[in-house]
Amino acid sequence: MTMASSSWSTWLREPNPASRLQSRLVQAWLSWLRFRRNPLAMIGLAISVALVLMSIFAPLLAPYDPIAQALGNRLLPPGTPGHWMGTDDFGRDIWSRILFGSRITLYIVLLVILTAPVVGLIIGTVAGYFGGWIDQVLMRITDIFLAFPKLILALALVAVLGPGMVNAVLAIALTSWPPYARVARAETLTVRNSDYIAAVKLQGAGAMRVILGHVMPMCLPSVIIRVTLDMAGVILTAAGLGFLGLGVQPPMPEWGLMISAGRKFLFEQWWVATMPGLAIFIVSLGFNLLGDGLRDVLDPRSSGR
Amino acid sequence: MGDVMALIEIENLSVTFNANGRRVRAVEAVSLKVGEKASFGLVGESGSGKSTILRAICGLAPVSAGRIRIGGEAVQSPRGKAFSAQVQMVFQDPYASLHPRHTVDRTLSEPLAIHGIGDRDARVMTALTDVGLPTSFRFRYPHQLSGGQRQRVAIARALMLKPQILLLDEPTSALDASVQAEVLNLLMRLREERGLTFLMVSHDLAVIDHMCDRVLVMQNGRAVEELSRTALASAQMQTDYARSLFAASADRMLEG
Repeated sequence: MTMASSSWSTWLREPNPASRLQSRLVQAWLSWLRFRRNPLAMIGLAISVALVLMSIFAPLLAPYDPIAQALGNRLLPPGTPGHWMGTDDFGRDIWSRILFGSRITLYIVLLVILTAPVVGLIIGTVAGYFGGWIDQVLMRITDIFLAFPKLILALALVAVLGPGMVNAVLAIALTSWPPYARVARAETLTVRNSDYIAAVKLQGAGAMRVILGHVMPMCLPSVIIRVTLDMAGVILTAAGLGFLGLGVQPPMPEWGLMISAGRKFLFEQWWVATMPGLAIFIVSLGFNLLGDGLRDVLDPRSSGR
Repeated sequence: MGDVMALIEIENLSVTFNANGRRVRAVEAVSLKVGEKASFGLVGESGSGKSTILRAICGLAPVSAGRIRIGGEAVQSPRGKAFSAQVQMVFQDPYASLHPRHTVDRTLSEPLAIHGIGDRDARVMTALTDVGLPTSFRFRYPHQLSGGQRQRVAIARALMLKPQILLLDEPTSALDASVQAEVLNLLMRLREERGLTFLMVSHDLAVIDHMCDRVLVMQNGRAVEELSRTALASAQMQTDYARSLFAASADRMLEG
């Protein structure tokens, strides 16, 4: 076992990698070693991993059905045997609802981070690379989207599209791509006139190849950092939409919706709103810490050339 | 020399940059001819427009007047793949000319991929050996290489498409003195083996003297004087500027 692990770690430290895969893994391993030195980032990573595990194993971990009502057990306080986080006004176990709610949160976050940054990256790199009127048109469109407060624009979109989880995701994605376009464009402008881009152009590469293969890898770290830092914002916007009744619809156990339901008896039965609030707080904090740690690892300016 | 068909012909080339509405004339009415398999040097202090001429040939600087001909044919704009296969450039700073997130392998395979050339593994290995790098460096990133090694990779990249002409933009000025000589000797060897034509920029007359058959001295974007190697060696300059430039690096030239 120790033999195997030591040969693995020398393989991962090999200065002369034998293949593309090994070369990439060596770099990833070095980044991981750098990341591991930051305890706060490790806490962020732990919270994020816990969220993923929670949502995967929710059916196994949850003691009760998150939707089934038990009106005899209404508003039990935390610490009641069998309901350590208490129950809500329909007698549903809050812990079970938070566990299943993590699935919805993760689903929204994943859909948003798979769409918005991609759109932003494409628009930003194209605008930055070509410059001129293409840049003007794309960036003015970006400015228009940036001129609206995020939640208000999302509200308007949901009002048009109708409430629901998919529409909430769509609204959040449509409102959150502009900052990525800005970041990607700024990064592209610094890279565009460098010698290595001139070299590949001189080899006859077309714009598509230069943007995808040479410009985007340089923009990716900044965008990834921005994404992890924005994940908290996405969760909060989703929760905000749920709170306002325009996102996920009852009886789904979405955290924002749960806070909204608990608002009615916040002073007498504080736990109904507080528990999902704590969940949102912890997960947002986790993503922010993770983003901070990733910045230290991924930022091309800090990791040397 | 002038009667032989010239591979690179530049006639009255002017390059004007537009910097915040102000027109900056970087090169003014410069003409030169480089014969096949010749090695031509451009010298001058920084800002004299010598690098701009190389960039103009590659289509990286805006040509405001004049003609550039390669092998008797006027260059196309944009330059296109045929041009890439004929003319390549080695940049001054090896720390800036290699993509920081591409391995040596990716950097060297890219030109082959662009031009749809197969058998990439073997070609990359040969290219590394040709520039005196061990093949075990193939999957390293630029930050795992020294300056001299990076410049060797940049030279290998420029030669991947087997061009006839190599434009060298101060290829050694960012390197240590000991490494400079190695890289210059490598370039000399490659030129001999492959019959390359060099158009080389330097501010260092000693380097030019070592490498080039003919020299064009430039000042403030204009051509001052063209010298043959023998004229350079025997210090037969016509203009004061060329003489002062020569005096500044004469000591080191005599050593070499």
